[in-house]
Amino acid sequence: MASGPATIGDFSILPVSIAPLPSFPKNVVHYLYVRRNAPKIPTATDARSLFLTNVPVDSTEAHLRALFTSLVGAGRFESATFEDERKDAHSLAQSPIDAAQPAHAARLLQAHGKKRKREDEEAQRAQEEAAARLPSTWTRPLRRSGSTAVVLLADEKSVAQVFKAIAKVHRKKKYPTWGGDDLPEGRVPPLGSIWLKTHNRLSYADKEELQASVDAFSALFARREQEAAEIAKRLRNEPDEDGFVTVTRGGRAAPASRNEAEEAKRKMLERAEKKKEELTNFYRFQLRERKKEEQAELLKKFDDDRKKLEAMRVKRGKFVPET
Amino acid sequence: MDSAPTKRRKLDHTQDGAELALESAASTGVSRFRAFILQAEELLNSVRLDHGTALEGADGLLHRIKGVIEGIKAHDAIPLVQAASKLEKKHKIKVPFPDPRPQENSNYKVAFAKPAQFNVVGSYVSKTMVKTQKDHAVDMVIVLPEEILQEKDYLDLRYFYKRAYYLAVVAAAVRKEFESGARLSYEHLNGNPLCPVLVIQPNASEAKGSEKSENKGALDFRIRILPCAPDGFFPKAKLHLGANLLRKSRDDDSNLFSEPTSFYNSTIVAESCYLPYLKLLRQAEKRCAAFKNTCILGRIWLQQRGFGGDISQGGFGHFEWAVLLALLLQGGESKGHAALPSSLSSTQLFKALVQFLSVTNFAEKPCVFGQGNPDLESNIETTPILYDSARQLNLAFKMGPWSAALLHRHAKWTRSLLADSTADQFSPTFILKTDVSLHSFDLITRLNIDGALEETGADPRGPTWQASSKVYQTLKRALVDKEMGERARLVHIRTPAHQPWPLAAEPKARGELPLEVGILFDPVNMARTVDRGPSAGPSAEEKEECEEFRKFWGEKSELRRFERDTIRETLIWASATPFDLCEEIIRYVLGRHLRIGQLHNEITVYGDGLPDLLSLKPADSALFNVAKKAFGVFERDIRDLEDLPLRVRQIAPICPELRQASVKPPTFGSSKSGPRPLECVISFEASGKWPESLAAIQRTKIAFLLMIGSLLENSKPGEIKTHVGLEDAKYETENLAFLDVIYESGPSFRLRIHSDLEETLLERQVKDKTAEQYLRQRATTLLATFRRQYTNLPLHNQCISTCATRFPALSPTIRLVKHWFNAHKLSYHFTEEFIELAALHVFLTPYPWDAPTSASAGFMRTLLFLSHWDWRSEPLVLDTSAEMPAADRTSIATRLEAWRKIDPNMNHTVLFVATAQEPSGVAWTTVDGQAKPSKVVAARMTSLAKSASRLVREQGVELDCRRLFVPSLKEYDVLIHLSSKALKGTLKTYSTIDPEEDGDVSRPKFKNLDERTGQQPLPLAQHPAELFLEQLSAAYGGPLVFFRGGVEDNTIGAIWNPQMQKRTFRVNLPTSYKPAGGKKRAKGGEDEDEDGEKAELVDANKDAILSEIARIGADLVERIEVKGA
Repeated sequence: MASGPATIGDFSILPVSIAPLPSFPKNVVHYLYVRRNAPKIPTATDARSLFLTNVPVDSTEAHLRALFTSLVGAGRFESATFEDERKDAHSLAQSPIDAAQPAHAARLLQAHGKKRKREDEEAQRAQEEAAARLPSTWTRPLRRSGSTAVVLLADEKSVAQVFKAIAKVHRKKKYPTWGGDDLPEGRVPPLGSIWLKTHNRLSYADKEELQASVDAFSALFARREQEAAEIAKRLRNEPDEDGFVTVTRGGRAAPASRNEAEEAKRKMLERAEKKKEELTNFYRFQLRERKKEEQAELLKKFDDDRKKLEAMRVKRGKFVPET
Repeated sequence: MDSAPTKRRKLDHTQDGAELALESAASTGVSRFRAFILQAEELLNSVRLDHGTALEGADGLLHRIKGVIEGIKAHDAIPLVQAASKLEKKHKIKVPFPDPRPQENSNYKVAFAKPAQFNVVGSYVSKTMVKTQKDHAVDMVIVLPEEILQEKDYLDLRYFYKRAYYLAVVAAAVRKEFESGARLSYEHLNGNPLCPVLVIQPNASEAKGSEKSENKGALDFRIRILPCAPDGFFPKAKLHLGANLLRKSRDDDSNLFSEPTSFYNSTIVAESCYLPYLKLLRQAEKRCAAFKNTCILGRIWLQQRGFGGDISQGGFGHFEWAVLLALLLQGGESKGHAALPSSLSSTQLFKALVQFLSVTNFAEKPCVFGQGNPDLESNIETTPILYDSARQLNLAFKMGPWSAALLHRHAKWTRSLLADSTADQFSPTFILKTDVSLHSFDLITRLNIDGALEETGADPRGPTWQASSKVYQTLKRALVDKEMGERARLVHIRTPAHQPWPLAAEPKARGELPLEVGILFDPVNMARTVDRGPSAGPSAEEKEECEEFRKFWGEKSELRRFERDTIRETLIWASATPFDLCEEIIRYVLGRHLRIGQLHNEITVYGDGLPDLLSLKPADSALFNVAKKAFGVFERDIRDLEDLPLRVRQIAPICPELRQASVKPPTFGSSKSGPRPLECVISFEASGKWPESLAAIQRTKIAFLLMIGSLLENSKPGEIKTHVGLEDAKYETENLAFLDVIYESGPSFRLRIHSDLEETLLERQVKDKTAEQYLRQRATTLLATFRRQYTNLPLHNQCISTCATRFPALSPTIRLVKHWFNAHKLSYHFTEEFIELAALHVFLTPYPWDAPTSASAGFMRTLLFLSHWDWRSEPLVLDTSAEMPAADRTSIATRLEAWRKIDPNMNHTVLFVATAQEPSGVAWTTVDGQAKPSKVVAARMTSLAKSASRLVREQGVELDCRRLFVPSLKEYDVLIHLSSKALKGTLKTYSTIDPEEDGDVSRPKFKNLDERTGQQPLPLAQHPAELFLEQLSAAYGGPLVFFRGGVEDNTIGAIWNPQMQKRTFRVNLPTSYKPAGGKKRAKGGEDEDEDGEKAELVDANKDAILSEIARIGADLVERIEVKGA
């Protein structure tokens, strides 16, 4: 295809040529769209990172490294983060540590956020998290078609160089190849049948490994639960800076479990229901009202039937016997 | 004191329109039946003919014909044969003599005189024709003048010879008048070979006269001229059913002398009854306002069931229906008072008549109307009897015993439908066409009988008829009768129809078409391989019965000793399936008694193509049972574990293999692939020990599984191997793992743990208004999955297993339907449970038939149902125990309406399938918050089912069933051909071998050095091809819709989503896009999200996507085929 525009919106277009395969013998060009990374919440590395969209489904960090090496030479590429991975980082439930927290404890912590993030704690947290994580079953996850990635380069200068290189690509009409020879041998797990077989094998993780991970998780969970209980207990007696004492569930001994509370509520509802039942059909007006309701119901049904019929009539052919 | 006036005022107040409507509502009965009445009225409106415009010009034409006939010159008696040859010479018109023709030397004489009377009869005068009738005929009777007849003419066809001559003369005159204005032909009235009639088919211009009106409602109608005998001319006393009136039989065989000729006799009576019946019907019309409408309803009901006045259509048509109704209104009972009050409405009368037909089995016992008690019992062998004593006519004389039996059945089925207030009563009764053999019968056989039958007997209906009665009697005796164990419920014979023939020719010989015999099984009895006859022990009480039995079955019958020392006559059959058994018996008895089947191709059997196609075997049910037993062992092994911290409450199977519903029966220990475990769920007694956090529960489950695994391995060392597998889970709160238990002997099971706290926590999250929207959404999806997995599936399994026992044909039907979904690459989009329920529906709500009794009928009717089901507005409601309260049904319907209101484009909810256990209606049609199938796919299912049903109807029994399963690949934009070799390689993985290295290292030369020898392969967490497709769908949910059939389908079809056309560029596009060149430049603006921004177009990069698929598939994908490339 003839070379298209070099930019679209505020993105530069980076065409990548893809070699034909025996099962799909066709020369194909894939288009990556690149711009400077400017997330809504700025981070320290924004200046030296690039935002890519429409990355190929089979992208890996190695692929992108090879691509940028062919554009701006070796040593410029630092790392790549894909869309799904970035989401992980933000998602609360995804991190086993956070998921391990009993729900109400998490809320309490949030409300009375104790600044517990210190450097060493952070490191310990990461370590615990790693221990509790279940082994992954895929050697190489697929990206959603059309998804994005953020590429971190060595320095700000490299970013400018990348854009220059892309412009050059357009000028010379010599597109870099995807997953070509630049790809280091053995660094990228293969796809196809081996990929699926490996997945099946990884699905059946080693039992000891699994047990260890589960144990790590339980230990963590038990600790968190205890912490949460302590916080709840402490908060009950501690006035905050305005002098108010937070009211929390539970008696003097311990905060109530949610199950108990629900049980109590159910019982209360039941009692109310019973009381109500005793009084139905007690007065005459109730009987009369019920009868009226029944009549109205009957009328409504009749009307419904008629409406349904009307609807059927609208649809052609409902009333003609098949031949 | 003052309370009374207030009350009165109140009463006055309520007497308004609402009250009246209520009254009318109450008078019409319960809701469903009310709907039926309204629908029937609507039906009447839409089928009623506007007789004025539709049959415009008929009156004028009739007058013209009358004039012509009146103008024919009378002549005196001349010898019959001479007169006939004169007519042929002069007008080139043959006299349509009935068979046998008068002999050359016969001395009968014929004359011609003006008809005594003209009269128009039938549905033209009563105006009860309907639009959907096959042809519209206006019948005019001409009464033969008495002077040309003699009283003795009722004997030996003499009347019919005269009648035929008379008709030929009339034909000659009419032809002269009309020349080319109309086409004339002879036809047998109602297929009765004794009564030829003249058919005048006016050309369009002739009918409407000169005025060329653009009349859209006009129909092609025909005028039939029916000569008949004067009323009361022949002495009816001599025409009773038992008389023999054909004394001069062709070969003067003396032994035929005494055989009654009931059909001949009834025909003569009928010939003189046109006018009395006309009178009867007119009276009924006058007396009962709803009479005409009931006749129209009856006509449609009969027509949809293939019944008609013609002998080949069963001999029970609109006329018989109307007369029966008139008789019942007049005084049906022998006591003289009317059976039905004439004040009833048309639907009530219709119901009453259906009820009457369903309780009166007039093929077995004569049914007499009016006074008098004639002795008819002795004639019931020869014909079904519906006797009208006033006119001394057997109304059912054109019916065979089989058509009477079929009518009886249909009436029974319709009655049970009309009694079922929950089903849709209207469309099965009047709309569905139910005369397709493949839908109605389980086995259909065609008999080519020309060779096998020599002419015997003197039945005017010809040898074909005689053969059919004999075949019927034999088969009924062998299959339907109680003494033979009621293998079949119904035997029906379809005789070939008669065609009109030109004036100058002889009627075509009949019997060219084969007889079609349909048999409806009793699935339980038909599967019996040993028949026990009467006991023949030393006491020999039933000596006569034994004699009878031996006479009927011949050398097949043998003596056998049974328990308690009874010795019985016994039949042993060699076949295994009900179908084969039936075929074996048919071939045997027909060969024995009628010598049919001795030449090859004399008997052709249809209806077994489908089970053969899938090679459904009777041994399959044994395999299902083996799996069930293995599951029992597994369950016991787990229950026997002593060290489990919680007590096991239940272990429930949740896979189709354990409910007899998988396409392939379960087989264990295949060497080609790793074990594919059968899925089960285990639940424990309630416990407070579960942690109060979803993620923690999931981890606890893993620990639990690990524990169960090691306990099992220890309890039966060497016999059991277990593996804990990880799910492909996205979130920590999902189920994370399962336990595969593999028995050394072959069976393997997959276990997942049910924790009730999980459900409570999820429910809480769903209701939690303070949580973020996406979290609640996720919890909703998880909760749906949870309920399906742990609540609905075990119940569904139970329900299907129970029904499979209740309906023996259900399991093979489900398997056939699944095979059909597979063949058309639909299965990827449907849950197996949905398909099972769709098939089950046909069994639970079988109207207008009874529940299917064979797999092929079940399959065909399921397709029929799918083609009719209007899933846009109707929920599919299944009520397995027939106890669902009406309120539940209404709430289900309301729920569907609500869904349609929220989501009119059907993006989230498409099919709606509710059962008593699962009233939400979406458990089987929504997976992970996505509609499964989507609207597009559901529409495709409907259209495929429609074309399949059309094929079934058009091809009839000759249908090659394979054609129903041929997928059309040309509709897919892309075909991804998977390499079967590479796929096969993926079926086995080993825990010790890394597949990545495995490929490179060549295998050792010696098998015993190969480390995989003797090692058990890992089970398959999921079939690789399915897994591959799932990964593709996840990556390309936007641009491509994939289609794939069952496990063995190696071709994935795909269609580009039409919504993925050119669009403006933005971040996070739904798929891979390329710049499309075109630029829409509006006012320059910085912000992309604002209106009037510079918009640049992109287009889906299809080639790049396909190339990505090729890369992902690598060696798995053999070839990607693109349409038009």
